[in-house]
Amino acid sequence: MAHLAHYREAHPLPMVITHWVNLIAMIVLILSGLEIHYPLVPGVMGIARGLHMFFAFVLVVNCVVRIVLAFVAKSAPAGGTRRLVRDYKTWLPQRDNKHQLWAWISYYLFLRREHPIAAKLGVPQKIVYLLIAPLIFFTAYTGFCLWGPTMGWPIFTWGTQLVGGAMNMRVIHYFCMWVFIIFMCIHVYLSLVEGASPATLIFFWKETPGLVYDPDTMNITGFDGMGKEPDYGETFKDPVRAAADAAAVAEREAAREGAE
Amino acid sequence: MAVREQTGTSRLQRKLDQHGFTRRDFLKYCGCLAGMMGLSSLAAPQIAEALEIGAEEGGLKPVIWLEGGSCTGCTEALTQGTTPDIPQLVLETIALNYSETLSAAAGHSLEQARRETIEAGGYLVVYEGAVPTAYDGNILLVAGEKGTDILLETAKGAEAVIALGSCACDGGWMAARPDDAQAMGVQRFLSEQGVDVPVVNIPCCPANPEWLTAVIVEYVLNGTLPELNDRNEPAALFNQTVHDNCPRRGHFENGEFVYEFGSEEEAKGYCLYPLGCKGPQTYAPCPITRWNRSLSWCVEAGAPCAGCAVINPMNPQGNWVDENTPFLDRHKDFAVGPISFQPTTVAAGLTVLVVAVLGVHCAGMKLAGRMDGGADFEAERRWDARHDKPAAHEAAARAQQLYDDLDELGLELKNTGAHRKRDAAGRKKATAVEVAAKAQGRAASDNAGASAAPAEDAAADLADLLVRPTDEPEGGDK
Repeated sequence: MAHLAHYREAHPLPMVITHWVNLIAMIVLILSGLEIHYPLVPGVMGIARGLHMFFAFVLVVNCVVRIVLAFVAKSAPAGGTRRLVRDYKTWLPQRDNKHQLWAWISYYLFLRREHPIAAKLGVPQKIVYLLIAPLIFFTAYTGFCLWGPTMGWPIFTWGTQLVGGAMNMRVIHYFCMWVFIIFMCIHVYLSLVEGASPATLIFFWKETPGLVYDPDTMNITGFDGMGKEPDYGETFKDPVRAAADAAAVAEREAAREGAE
Repeated sequence: MAVREQTGTSRLQRKLDQHGFTRRDFLKYCGCLAGMMGLSSLAAPQIAEALEIGAEEGGLKPVIWLEGGSCTGCTEALTQGTTPDIPQLVLETIALNYSETLSAAAGHSLEQARRETIEAGGYLVVYEGAVPTAYDGNILLVAGEKGTDILLETAKGAEAVIALGSCACDGGWMAARPDDAQAMGVQRFLSEQGVDVPVVNIPCCPANPEWLTAVIVEYVLNGTLPELNDRNEPAALFNQTVHDNCPRRGHFENGEFVYEFGSEEEAKGYCLYPLGCKGPQTYAPCPITRWNRSLSWCVEAGAPCAGCAVINPMNPQGNWVDENTPFLDRHKDFAVGPISFQPTTVAAGLTVLVVAVLGVHCAGMKLAGRMDGGADFEAERRWDARHDKPAAHEAAARAQQLYDDLDELGLELKNTGAHRKRDAAGRKKATAVEVAAKAQGRAASDNAGASAAPAEDAAADLADLLVRPTDEPEGGDK
């Protein structure tokens, strides 16, 4: 019964877009990068390299945009609420999920039965997502150490010397790709294993009904049926929306009864 | 004018004549030298003149050529087997005072020549081969003297030391695993010994004699060493990769590759990248200067670049052999003890392992019934429960009540969008009216001051307000 309502406020539209850009850029970078590592498909090396460089810039710029958004845009501090805070606050340790690192790990290791009540992001999730930004910049740096036009710049030759030459840099850059691949496997798995709602929200910005969370008392207070199911308990809805949802539910009920 | 007449029949010119080189060949070579030194090719006549005058006067700059832990391959490259070329003739004529391999003299008289050159000062040292330091340097003895001592003694008085070949730069082959000789390059050895003399690294296995001659001639003519990069290589020569200047580069960009030796693609001269060509990360001017009188070079001859110009002067373990083997694979092997493996094996293996673990985890989630919305929420965070926070307890009691209510109404909150309702378990379908009624009941009890009351009281209130839905199907339907 741990299904929270998925509100758009959790992932405002700009974040949905940056997530899409990340997804597309990473997929293209991984595929073109594999081609550059070993040209399994003949005839497309020029295209692969062009795409690789283009999307490298896209990914880096997107990452910068996302970081700026964190300080400019607002988002919900937790799932199941429409309350908004400055987005960067949802990346710092929050009142809602302090002391929960072990709670999450033990939940995923089946050492506890109950789903932790948490903020929008679980603690391990938050840490890993935060590491993705430095990983993007680091991978881009190692990439520029290998890219013809920039490999001779002092800032990049310094790094190449530090790791003991271009071969090591090449291998490091290659390993970075696999870190992204492993991250994506785990990320996709964990975001889908308990249902499709997180995915429909981040990709299609579609809201789904569920439990309502109160950031003040930091616990569940009600159920928001979003017009598909009857609401229950405290949903913090404004009266207009509540009335509209109730009407929609009544209509559905009437239609269902009519059908029966 | 007098000078020009004199140069017309100079010793160098006579030597070139004897080997069948015309003056035009010589001037062309001087033009190449000018290019390598970063001068305009218009400087060719001046270079020619200076070389000839130097040769006439018996050596512009004495050069002592030392052999360390070497295969003599670099000397071999210089002498080009049976047919010496212009760089060698120039070098021999202008300078070479001591060379264990090339000098006509041998034994004491040769050692004497070296000592005299050192005493006179103002000389250059060319060091070929690695500096093996095992057994306190006793692993290499020349004329009863430790190789390391000879290098120290000779380098101390030198104006500059040219480390010729990758072994001299960082240990090269000699330093490759398992490195029993504890070999290292000249630069590292001299800096460890505190000898402060400029070292110029000219890598490759063997080093191209044209690069050596270019450096010596530049030093002889200008009195300065060429500009060096951060690996102490002549920057003008070693700042671009083999890949940058490769004649097969067009095929690389077109995606035309050789995947197998003896294939049709190889016959077409396609790019050798999939066969482990190390050109993209190897800094050397091989495609420009080429080898054996600029006849050809590895990639042109059909072999993928082995990356023999890769050096790490201060780190012998970064020698080109360990950095680039296996030569026919895209990446170097990693070695843990006696086991070596490709980075792809580790990375792909790890990824497969992660996916397998996720598969097992997924089965666990299915068994635990968490796939459809996750497990039930804890009523209260453990930290709060443990640290006894009244507000948290209160919120938890309300949440628990909510779960119980929803359960009672048969509202099963699953993550499928459809939010199925349980009725198979004998629970009645919740209708909007019922839920609204119950919600009102909750609100009423809260208003009555139940928010401060214990959860049990609130539950009791609700029990009064509502008929248990589970009773109804049995009684109502029959």
